[in-house]
Amino acid sequence: MAAIGRLVARAEAVDDEWLYIHDLETVWLARLRAVAADAAVDAAPDGASAAASGELSGGELEAAIERLVAEADAVSDPHRAIDWLSTLPQATLVALGAGAW
Amino acid sequence: MRFQDAARDARAVVYAGVQADPLVARMAVLLADATPGQRVLARAVMNGETSEPGPWRTMFPALFGDAARRAADGFLERSEAILSASLEVAGRGEQVRSQFRGAIVEALTERLLARRVSPDAIRRERRILFDGIPAEIHPYDVTVESAGAAEAYDCKWGARGISADVLHQLDDARAHAEAEGRRLLPVLVVFDARRSCEVRLARHTAPRTGTRLVTIETLDRLAGRRSPVSA
Repeated sequence: MAAIGRLVARAEAVDDEWLYIHDLETVWLARLRAVAADAAVDAAPDGASAAASGELSGGELEAAIERLVAEADAVSDPHRAIDWLSTLPQATLVALGAGAW
Repeated sequence: MRFQDAARDARAVVYAGVQADPLVARMAVLLADATPGQRVLARAVMNGETSEPGPWRTMFPALFGDAARRAADGFLERSEAILSASLEVAGRGEQVRSQFRGAIVEALTERLLARRVSPDAIRRERRILFDGIPAEIHPYDVTVESAGAAEAYDCKWGARGISADVLHQLDDARAHAEAEGRRLLPVLVVFDARRSCEVRLARHTAPRTGTRLVTIETLDRLAGRRSPVSA
């Protein structure tokens, strides 16, 4: 979620898209929070996320999210940052095995 | 209502070269049978900065990890092929990759439609003409031209490509066809999540109730089937 905030800061350089950028931020953060809340409810006793239908290890998920955040942070072009405001949450939800992005 | 090839101006000639690139066709073939998760992988890589495959495999464990190795035959291989082709597109540079991405969505749309309608009925870069109505400047990316029912497709890489002009052109075509007693289904195909598309559409007042929206999760509907639920 912090990575999305950093993408927003970069994307804001595109003045004409200010509303769209913040609309994207609002809806995707809400979706990620909802998935996180579900994962917390379903959390396994060892703390591993129950997302991904139990098919992925906690280590795989942690590495995936860490690397996705690094990829998003590497985006410097503001137009590409707008693209990543949509791409990062989709990729994150695919990594988590969550549906209905 | 009648269809006509778009004028071959300089832009069209250059873009035709992109559309004919074998990498575009290869990508469309791979994505046509991909899962929604594999399509998101393609979107991320073609939008991304990292040019090495290793980090992408880490980012998508459901497509490359142990679960993928246990999945149905060919799943992991398809993930690898999509990753490889997507990195090739990304490696063409910012300007060129942008053209490639658009051409890939068009080619993918054509390929999926060919599973539902006769390939002979599917055309590219066509204008739609109506009696007494000035022709639109921009051709439709893909059309289905069959007796009794026609379809017009505008293809976008991302939700940001949705504009009032696009929405008006699609709805105008539908309305003009209706005025002639014909049926034309306008469709907006966006290689992006529905959630992002809805955000984009929410700020537009252009008419869109008659326009169908197909997004990265639901691309298989072009072929007349529902999307798989797996990654």
